[in-house]
Amino acid sequence: MGQFAKLGSDMVSLWSKYGGTYMGGIYRTLVLATIGTVIGCLIGFVCGIVQTIPVYKNDSPVKKVILKVVQIILRIYVEVFRGTPMILQAVFIYYGLPYFSNNTIQFDGKWLVSIIVVSINTGAYMTESMRGGIISVDTGQTEGAMAIGMTHFQTMTSVVLPQAIRNIMPQIGNNFIINVKDTSVMFIIGFTDFFAVHKSVVGATFTYFPSAAIEMIGYLTMTLLASWLLRLLEKKMDGKSDYELVAVDQLTLPAGVYHVDSQKAEKDLNPDERAALLKEREKAAEGGKEVR
Amino acid sequence: MSDLKQTESEKSEEAIIAVRHLSKKFGSHEVLKDIDFDVRRGDVTTVIGASGSGKSTLLRCINLLETPTSGQVLYHGRDVCGRKVDVPGYRSHVGMVFQSFNLFLNKNVLDNCMVGQMRVLKRPKEQAFQEAVKYLGKVGMLPYIKAKPRQLSGGQKQRVAIARALAMNPEVLLFDEPTSALDPEMVGEVLDVMSDLAKEGMTMIVVTHEMAFAKQVSTQVVYMNDGVICEQGSPEQIFEHPESEKTKEFLARFLR
Repeated sequence: MGQFAKLGSDMVSLWSKYGGTYMGGIYRTLVLATIGTVIGCLIGFVCGIVQTIPVYKNDSPVKKVILKVVQIILRIYVEVFRGTPMILQAVFIYYGLPYFSNNTIQFDGKWLVSIIVVSINTGAYMTESMRGGIISVDTGQTEGAMAIGMTHFQTMTSVVLPQAIRNIMPQIGNNFIINVKDTSVMFIIGFTDFFAVHKSVVGATFTYFPSAAIEMIGYLTMTLLASWLLRLLEKKMDGKSDYELVAVDQLTLPAGVYHVDSQKAEKDLNPDERAALLKEREKAAEGGKEVR
Repeated sequence: MSDLKQTESEKSEEAIIAVRHLSKKFGSHEVLKDIDFDVRRGDVTTVIGASGSGKSTLLRCINLLETPTSGQVLYHGRDVCGRKVDVPGYRSHVGMVFQSFNLFLNKNVLDNCMVGQMRVLKRPKEQAFQEAVKYLGKVGMLPYIKAKPRQLSGGQKQRVAIARALAMNPEVLLFDEPTSALDPEMVGEVLDVMSDLAKEGMTMIVVTHEMAFAKQVSTQVVYMNDGVICEQGSPEQIFEHPESEKTKEFLARFLR
């Protein structure tokens, strides 16, 4: 128990001295992860939608060729950025571009490069998620939309995408949480996120473990909060699970009401009429005839 | 639509939809072979036949959900299978009701019936609402306008699907086995709606296994076997005096 008390007091003293520095790291991590995820999702939506544009027999050859070329380029983008470490992508862009352009293209802003790298990386993953989300909406609904004359664009915007985006919400959450943690690799270009703060603090104080404990709690708090918010959002997207019946005033109906159930009409009869009907049935039953 | 070919106009002048020498192959498997038939205004054409005889494929070819391998589908004498045809525009005149309903799961009943009118026909919201309410009332689904498709029974879903198709004011309505996915006790409510539509003069092509419905409601019966039209004629002809041996065999199995 003594160790825990010591850890606690070390963490408190560390926090009281460097709390602001840690909070700055948390702030930069959250901002980078959020912007990166949002832009990445937008990239992923667009690329995923393009990847699933169908080709019809009657389409013009020009459209077919352009679409095919674009889809191949997107495929390469996805494979390259999914298949290489983000830390190397950051190095490539931050140091590689000046190298190739004899220092005419340079990124001064670590923020800018970090956002670009996180965005295109997330975009590559989200492209595949979006493609999966679109495919997961059953083709029957697409056919239903096409059968009432909707174009592919109208079908996508009215029917498929709202459902596809709902279906990939857990994926978006996944990506955000991965980004919160993985933005730490941006230290390679000198971006001081939450984890980089840890390194600079322990460089000065040599309190490795208490600082790591603060980091753990910090990361877990961020990701739990994100999970919770995303669950709320999902619930909101699902809408109400029940519905109200709408009272119908039959007189306002231009086409009248169609009766599904002939029994219902019987209930509406007044007592005399019902008695007459019952009598008739009895008579018929005696006569061996069937009357409904 | 000016690029459309004007073909066989004298033959199919009064036909809304005329199918000419239609063939469909999936790979090397020929599902439809040289199909010919006409649908005139007010016709209720039922297509009957064993499973796998190509009935549904024929219907999907008419709505261009499948592209015919060869042959023509003429809509008011114009071939809709060629290039430069406004396919969505054509489809908006030819409604379709599916075996599996195919309602939009992200929209409630009312929106299912309004979205096509607003986006395809560009009707103002007010008018779309009026039309949707009119046809939902007709199929007895008005109390459920706020429900989502997942909350409805099969029969209710199919009635909404019919209202959705009707709200587009189509010239022809195609039914692809509309009662085959329903529990027995729900078949009646859907068939009743369809009979009512037929009485009101709606032009319909119905692929069905409901022989009683075909007998009572249709004006023309098409019996398909193995991708070809084996026999076609009035319900009396097909059901009372079938000529082909295959038709007799099929009906004997069904009308035991």
